[in-house]
Amino acid sequence: MRRPFEVLLAVSAGLILAFLLLPILALFLRIPPEDLLSQLTSQVAVDALLVSVKTSVIAHAVVLLLGTPTAYLIATRRFRGRSLVLTLIELPLVLPPAVAGIALFAAFGRAGLLGETLHAAGISIPFTQTAVVFAIIFVSSPFYIRLGIAAFEALDPALIEASRTLGAGPRRTFFRVALPLAAGGLSAASALAFARGLGEFGATIMFAGSLQGVTQTLPLAIYAQLDLDFDIALALGAFLVVVSVAVLLTVKLLPSWTRFTLISLAPSGRSD
Amino acid sequence: MRWGLLGLALVALAGCGGAAGGGDANDNATVFAAASLTEVFPQIDPAATYNFAGSDDLATQITEGAPADVFAAASTKYPDQLYDQGLVDKPEVFATNRLVLVVPKDNPAGIRSVDDLRNPDVKLVIGAEGVPIGDYTRTVLENMGATDVLDQVVSEEDDVKGVVGKVSLGEADAGFVYVTDVKPVEDEVTAIELPAEAQAEVQYEIAVVKAAPHHDAAHEFVEQVLSEGGQAKLQAVGFGPP
Repeated sequence: MRRPFEVLLAVSAGLILAFLLLPILALFLRIPPEDLLSQLTSQVAVDALLVSVKTSVIAHAVVLLLGTPTAYLIATRRFRGRSLVLTLIELPLVLPPAVAGIALFAAFGRAGLLGETLHAAGISIPFTQTAVVFAIIFVSSPFYIRLGIAAFEALDPALIEASRTLGAGPRRTFFRVALPLAAGGLSAASALAFARGLGEFGATIMFAGSLQGVTQTLPLAIYAQLDLDFDIALALGAFLVVVSVAVLLTVKLLPSWTRFTLISLAPSGRSD
Repeated sequence: MRWGLLGLALVALAGCGGAAGGGDANDNATVFAAASLTEVFPQIDPAATYNFAGSDDLATQITEGAPADVFAAASTKYPDQLYDQGLVDKPEVFATNRLVLVVPKDNPAGIRSVDDLRNPDVKLVIGAEGVPIGDYTRTVLENMGATDVLDQVVSEEDDVKGVVGKVSLGEADAGFVYVTDVKPVEDEVTAIELPAEAQAEVQYEIAVVKAAPHHDAAHEFVEQVLSEGGQAKLQAVGFGPP
């Protein structure tokens, strides 16, 4: 009975792996690599790349800056309504992107909740790069916070406790103990959230529109080029696959890297 | 028992494959039609299965082997292209259309004509290049000598419904759409007619797909669209005769 079972496991794994890898492989086989590269230097591709990099980096900075303390708060404090807060943070993760786009309009659009207030202040968000940044933050921050909470929760409470009893205040404990110890998990969370933000499509095309050089990010450019120049769409797609692979490899390599640096940093840390 | 479950899954998978291959019980035509036909085609044949999108996207899908029976596009460009590639039968013009400028009902930018679009605060939404509505919009603006209003474009949409949506939401100040797109949203938008001499020649073509899984149903559908009844329904919602 054992043998057929082993075969079943192997066959299942083989089938699903082939199914997952074939389309990605086909993407690269459809046009020769040198053509892929030359397509990437086309104006549309370069514009999309610049828009994507700029908006993703700004959005990611906001996500890290606000998301890290939020994750720490939820992971280490027990308060009334905590599970409600958790659920609310997870909501954008499962929300269809089109709903996210409509919701952003409803909140920040001209006819939206804050529309008049923003208009009075001379601010208009839809169809701008700010709108792209908003869309990315909306879909990627829940990703980062959820994984960040897990990273902080995985810390040994005894270490935090020890830091406190040794006289470190909550601020010092956060910066000197919790943050360095959770660095591996947080970096992984950061990388995955960044990749999710880079691939954002639905909310962006709705709330920010699609205009080359302004709001047209890489995924939007792929969609727009699908019928104009399929080769550019393919090249951009292949490029995003490479970026995604790089992100995943980083995530896989990070934990060991962090452990290594922590060990090597520990003695100097003790001496200061 | 365990093997039974796996077998069941495989049978289900095989079933899906069969259906997509064309051996399904449903004999209705699968119609790939331009987004601007969304309201009227189901009136002509409620039983057909529809896929409404930008004509360019539909052409790509058919080129990639989508199981379409009929292709109805908002231009002659894509059906003619597919005909040249031997993917569809000879296309026929079945309707014409014209462009209008739409603004939200409360008209926040105070737009009365194409000239008003030059105001630097105006947010204009148009179809992307390569999408029929986008190409026609550029033709109309060229005919009017008003291509400079393209500077006010804040978004280039992938099909005409994207333009309609953003204007009817009140997020964009104006957009160029087909006159036939106005009726469903007439409570939210106002249409401004464009000079007749500036109009682009908007011709809709229909063709049976060569690899149609439901070949007979496809021909019946095309006949229905070209019939007096079909033409009456098209003209009732604002399309012009071929």
